[in-house]
Amino acid sequence: MYGDLGIKLVQHAKRTQNLAHLPPYQAELVRAVTREVRDLNKDVDDLLEPFQGSFDPAEDQAVAYTLLVNHISMRRNKRCLLAYHRTRTDKLEELVWNGADVIDLSGQQVRDGGASGSKGVASGDGSTSSLSPQEEDYVRQYGDLLAAYKGQWTDIDLTGSLEPPRDLFIDVRVLKDAGEIQTEYGAITLTKNSQFYVRQGDVERLIAQGYLQKLS
Amino acid sequence: MSYYDVDAILTDGEKVPCRFELDVPYLGHLDNSNGLKPGTRLNLPLWLAEMFALASAGEDSKPPLTLTLPPCLSEQVLAALKADPRAVPLRDQSAYFYGVAVRMLDLFDERELSAILRTTFVVRAADVGLHARKAEESGLGGQGEEFLRGLDEWERRLFRRGHEGVKWAKEWTDNVKKS
Amino acid sequence: MDIDDILREVDPASHGIPLETRDLQALTRLWVAERSAPELLNWPADGLFERVNSKIKSQIEKIEDMTGDMDPKTNFALIVIQTELERYKFLVRSYLRTRIAKIDKHTLHYLSTEELRQRLSPTELAYATRHQALLHNHYLSSFLSSFPQRLQNLNDTAGNVSMIDSPDLDTAVFVRLLREKDVFGRGTDSDTILPAANGDVLIMRWSSAKALVENGDAELV
Repeated sequence: MYGDLGIKLVQHAKRTQNLAHLPPYQAELVRAVTREVRDLNKDVDDLLEPFQGSFDPAEDQAVAYTLLVNHISMRRNKRCLLAYHRTRTDKLEELVWNGADVIDLSGQQVRDGGASGSKGVASGDGSTSSLSPQEEDYVRQYGDLLAAYKGQWTDIDLTGSLEPPRDLFIDVRVLKDAGEIQTEYGAITLTKNSQFYVRQGDVERLIAQGYLQKLS
Repeated sequence: MSYYDVDAILTDGEKVPCRFELDVPYLGHLDNSNGLKPGTRLNLPLWLAEMFALASAGEDSKPPLTLTLPPCLSEQVLAALKADPRAVPLRDQSAYFYGVAVRMLDLFDERELSAILRTTFVVRAADVGLHARKAEESGLGGQGEEFLRGLDEWERRLFRRGHEGVKWAKEWTDNVKKS
Repeated sequence: MDIDDILREVDPASHGIPLETRDLQALTRLWVAERSAPELLNWPADGLFERVNSKIKSQIEKIEDMTGDMDPKTNFALIVIQTELERYKFLVRSYLRTRIAKIDKHTLHYLSTEELRQRLSPTELAYATRHQALLHNHYLSSFLSSFPQRLQNLNDTAGNVSMIDSPDLDTAVFVRLLREKDVFGRGTDSDTILPAANGDVLIMRWSSAKALVENGDAELV
């Protein structure tokens, strides 16, 4: 029945909400639901054609109700598609705020595929990214937009921690080599497994990106 | 209700029993037939059934279909809820039990149904809150687990909120103690 | 240091206090209110953020000047200033992020009327407008452009669900009364009028609390 595929998309969206990563884009399903809309629209045109623009709903109820069903079904599919895409852009935006860029994101599926075997096949059109090409564009553009907005508040670091500050200095352990960073107390070279006592504000980004672990 | 809300859309996709009152040859695809005849019974999702039930083409024409309450709100279910709201796994009736019920109450003036549902929600919510508080320490006993499995989406959300609230409050008091 | 310390410092009687201190108090109030209210509140029109921003800048410069001085006395002052700076930055950041989250959630709603648009700062307005355009473009290029023309809009309000989501103004909020007042609150079954004293904390719907907050009879907590 019309609308069943839309539900499938929204069920994907529901699952996506509870995942930390972004599952593969359902290109095939999106195409199918979009096609349904075009088919329904064609039905509407075909049904109306004989009336030459002078259709009176009260005269022919069967046609009137069919048109109603088709219209509602198109609107329903549109809502499903929008909710699906919106759920994903919400997630993508969150990742951009957390410092991910498009290369990290499209690389994600490759790593996932490597870990769990044949998962990469599920993306349908043979691409290795879990993002659609349109989503990759979106991430880039949103990243630019966010950078522009952040640029208005250069001294604040808008993407910094949302925990109220407790300690100016914290102990951290280095999880991955992160090279040299500049602090106002001089340069520190962050090599794996070393520990430092540093100013929290200097290393927040590195903690968020998983280079450092905060020790309590 | 929010347009982009995934739960609202899924609630709207739950099916309700309908009876067609008109002859509509073009709509056979709704029940895989050659066309809908008066008296045809079929299950339609809420988003479609609702529009149909409220629509009528001319002023004196009757609505094209009549709706009945879905099985999740049947006499038996309601009787069981009246006996003990906690003993009914709502999720087995519908994952969106309350969501569907609220939509049906918009269409039907059912005072008794509304009263039963209200009591059900209040009684069960108290238990949901209790489990949310206890989930951390004791793990879940057999019966508690069974009850939680039967929660519908509203109740699950309530449980999650309650559980998070307890967790955050605990983290906060721990932090205060430390500093 | 945590939120309680910050709140404790916020004394409603703020006359005769230097502008800088008043700004910090105003910022703290705005931050608390913004985090509690279910809808976006007005962006302060009195240049508060310009002042806060230049204060932060001067603090950063001061720290840069003082760093390198190894005198223990300077060092202690440095830590105090840095701590204060972090706190300032946190307040501004948290406040701005709370607002952006609300704007992102209901972008079209806040762009829909002039009255609502005026709640946003010029930067927020630019961000919201561009964000909405990016989203619409993304939907168009992903599927929407192959829809019939009349179905390509994102702001239809016909049909049984409006496409423009708006915040739920009946969300519960906590308010503290700033003067004695008979408080009217709408309820599900019946409405109530509750005589309340200065300092009382009530929980009520934002739709009922809004006028109290705007008139200065109560503040969000």
